[in-house]
Amino acid sequence: MNLEKTLFDAYGFTSFRPGQKEVIEKILVGQDVIALLPTGMGKSMCYQLPAHLLEGSVLIVSPLLSLMQDQVAQLKKMGEKSVTALNSFLDPAERSNVLNNLNNYRFIFISPEMLVQPYIKSRLRDIRISLLVADEAHCISQWGFDFRPDYLRIAEILPVLGHPKVLALTATATAKVTEEIKKYLDLSDPYVYTHPMDRKNIAYDIRKFTNGNEKLEWLKSFVSANRGPGIIYAGTRKKSQELSGLLNLAGIRTAFYHGGMEHQDRIFVQQQFQNGELEWVCSTNAFGMGVHIPDISHVIHYQVPTSIEGYVQEVGRAGRDGSPALATLLYAAGDEELLDSLVLDDLPTENEIREIYRNADEGPQLVEQGIVRETSMRVITYWKNHLTEQETIYQIEQQKIEKMKQSAKIRKLIFLESCIREYLMECFDQQLQNKPANCCVKDGLNYNKFLKRRESRAVALSDTWENRLNAILPC
Amino acid sequence: MLFEDILIIILKAVDGERTVSSPYHLLKGKKSGQTIQDIGYYKLHPYFGILPKLEKKVYDKAVQKLFDKGFIIPDGQVVRMSEKSLAYQPTAPSVNGWKYRGNEQVFMARLSLIVQTLSHIHQNHRVFDPVVIADDVQQWVKSYLHRMDYRNEESCRNLKAEIAGSLSKAEVDDSAKKIVLQRLSGYKVGGLTWEQIAAIENKEVIDIRLQAIEALHTWMGIIETEDYPLLKVLLDGLIQKSSLTETARRTESYFKNGRSLEEIAALRGLKTSTIEDHFVELAMNDPGFDILAFMGGALYSKIIAASRSQNTKRLRDIKEIVPEASYFQIRLALATKGEIK
Ligand SMILES: Nc1ncnc2c1ncn2[C@@H]1O[C@H](COP(=O)(O)OP(=O)(O)OP(=O)(O)O)[C@@H](O)[C@H]1O
Ligand SMILES: [Mg+2]
Ligand SMILES: [Zn+2]
Repeated sequence: MNLEKTLFDAYGFTSFRPGQKEVIEKILVGQDVIALLPTGMGKSMCYQLPAHLLEGSVLIVSPLLSLMQDQVAQLKKMGEKSVTALNSFLDPAERSNVLNNLNNYRFIFISPEMLVQPYIKSRLRDIRISLLVADEAHCISQWGFDFRPDYLRIAEILPVLGHPKVLALTATATAKVTEEIKKYLDLSDPYVYTHPMDRKNIAYDIRKFTNGNEKLEWLKSFVSANRGPGIIYAGTRKKSQELSGLLNLAGIRTAFYHGGMEHQDRIFVQQQFQNGELEWVCSTNAFGMGVHIPDISHVIHYQVPTSIEGYVQEVGRAGRDGSPALATLLYAAGDEELLDSLVLDDLPTENEIREIYRNADEGPQLVEQGIVRETSMRVITYWKNHLTEQETIYQIEQQKIEKMKQSAKIRKLIFLESCIREYLMECFDQQLQNKPANCCVKDGLNYNKFLKRRESRAVALSDTWENRLNAILPC
Repeated sequence: MLFEDILIIILKAVDGERTVSSPYHLLKGKKSGQTIQDIGYYKLHPYFGILPKLEKKVYDKAVQKLFDKGFIIPDGQVVRMSEKSLAYQPTAPSVNGWKYRGNEQVFMARLSLIVQTLSHIHQNHRVFDPVVIADDVQQWVKSYLHRMDYRNEESCRNLKAEIAGSLSKAEVDDSAKKIVLQRLSGYKVGGLTWEQIAAIENKEVIDIRLQAIEALHTWMGIIETEDYPLLKVLLDGLIQKSSLTETARRTESYFKNGRSLEEIAALRGLKTSTIEDHFVELAMNDPGFDILAFMGGALYSKIIAASRSQNTKRLRDIKEIVPEASYFQIRLALATKGEIK
């Protein structure tokens, strides 16, 4: 079989990117695969192409609603017609419509929460699924333990579907996470393809300030002087709104983006960003993982990220067209103080664990009375089916240690004296083979390669509805 | 401001007879007996369900403002209007929630995708990211575009002329029409988020949303009644034929076939109180509703008289004067607004 020809016929690409062909070949001969490829490398192709060669549908488990919608849109743009997404935001009529026509879809995107619903399972049983994909598979171990236990239950669907092939994709998996992916996806002997996770065209900068005010002033002058497009990551929705407000006042064309906005507004921000009407987007991590806008040349972290994985995912939005891009991490003295509470607060407490184990039938009341938090309830209810009370306490204790390690890694990143690129690779149990000329601030950066002077250009906003109508429909 | 005005209008109508959260349920379009019934009593049809996604905290904040400004005064379970608010006469916005039932959103979704497509195609861009991703809307628009011969420049011009013509006839502020246009997008022209528009206009997001709804309702009214063939199709299936909820309609058909209230409840597996709600809805909407199937003429007159003399629509007050009537009978009688002889 000539895979290149299929690639061209189906999607118009003339050659494979590194790793794609190897992964696809293994899938086609019936092996399970874990593919670790850097951000923007083209992991989606690893299931898109097989969909044309395997009988039946491809089922893709995807972590975020916005990401799912994005990928459906991408596929449709690539000419795929039979694509759908099953998530909790479909209204009942839409959902039953999709479910009744399930076997007509070549690509079915689904959230893990949906996947474990009995009635969804029974519908999926009736159609032929040839490949199950876990996209952003590091979420299994990251979010599965933290607050989305259904992520740990993906494997339950495998026997229901008659054991299709499994493909796990991610850009950010440590050796430990890879082991957890194997365990929770029930993969006994997968083919693991690892490409160095390094992104050569992204350079790393870290800037330190003595206080928050200085940091803000630097940001303002930086974005006033330099051209985007770029993303500024904030730690909270509120902060993203606040920053965008301030930058707007400073005459920068910017908007905020976060998961609390209605869907139409999120589309509008992406639209304006892609059109060049916006230079910068102030965002939470909702505008991260998987998002593909080719020409983003800057990613700025205004607040300290809470994990190295998150940091690398977010940085990975930059330079996806291959041009040089700059990732800048901003730090003001004291920023790291919140880090521990931020990563630890959400974990279930020993008391919550005890309450849930001992008051088996009173789950909902425990939450209502405020004795147990909702997330803790969800997580512990999962463990209760698998572990004893003591074991669960131990499990959560282990997670706590893991979290402390994560925040220690971030702290180390901030105060690093050596090469940032090398350090990031190390965090994923890889070794850096060669450094690009423009590597990181520790190795010296030639900023001229990334910074383009910004001509401030006011976008003419239509002043009347008639003018705007003419601008949209110049026919 | 607009939101505040609407709250004042609603609260004035129910002055002293409903709790402070009754406007909230009305604006969200809650299909409970109480809300449906209030719409009839107090003639609040225009506001039913105009803000289906209204957040409680946004609502509470606005109500708190009214308290702070001295427009309303708490009075036990209910709220009363102050002198100040009685003196204030806001102009009623031209919305028609009962008729459109939130369907202006579907109209807008269809229009957005049509306009975006024409904008791209006629500037030679075949591929773009659709602003509306809902499958049903995409399918609908696809077939619409084919029928209108969308590749033809002429069709594009015709639609544009219809938009310009009908919108200029709509009797709402130009600022409201501009918001509708800002929510549309095209080639190299992105739609604006609610927050962006609010920032430009220096207003609250909720007021911007309401202005948009007002513009859409008025505009849809023009399209429906006048000669705009290309736009009229966009209203397909969006205009409520009967003003009854679906479930009340089913109860009505059982009733017409001679079933009693209890039988209908049993047949439909619903609580009798739910079926009672349906009858109240029927009584409210159908002038020919036979109220005498539920009470004698004398009792009916007594209830209406009590309501008028005490100038109240509170069930409890009326029950005190006419203890022999059940709450259901009182609700039914009030629903007819005393218009039955
Ligand atoms: N063989 C190829 N030739 C050219 N372009 C390709 C090829 N494979 C994929 N691409 C393009 O590369 C871009 C990025 O791909 P994709 O979004 O799948 O990256 P990813 O690896 O999933 O990144 P992330 O980790 O951020 O999710 C897409 O626009 C895709 O069309
Ligand atoms: Mg991806
Ligand atoms: Zn370096």
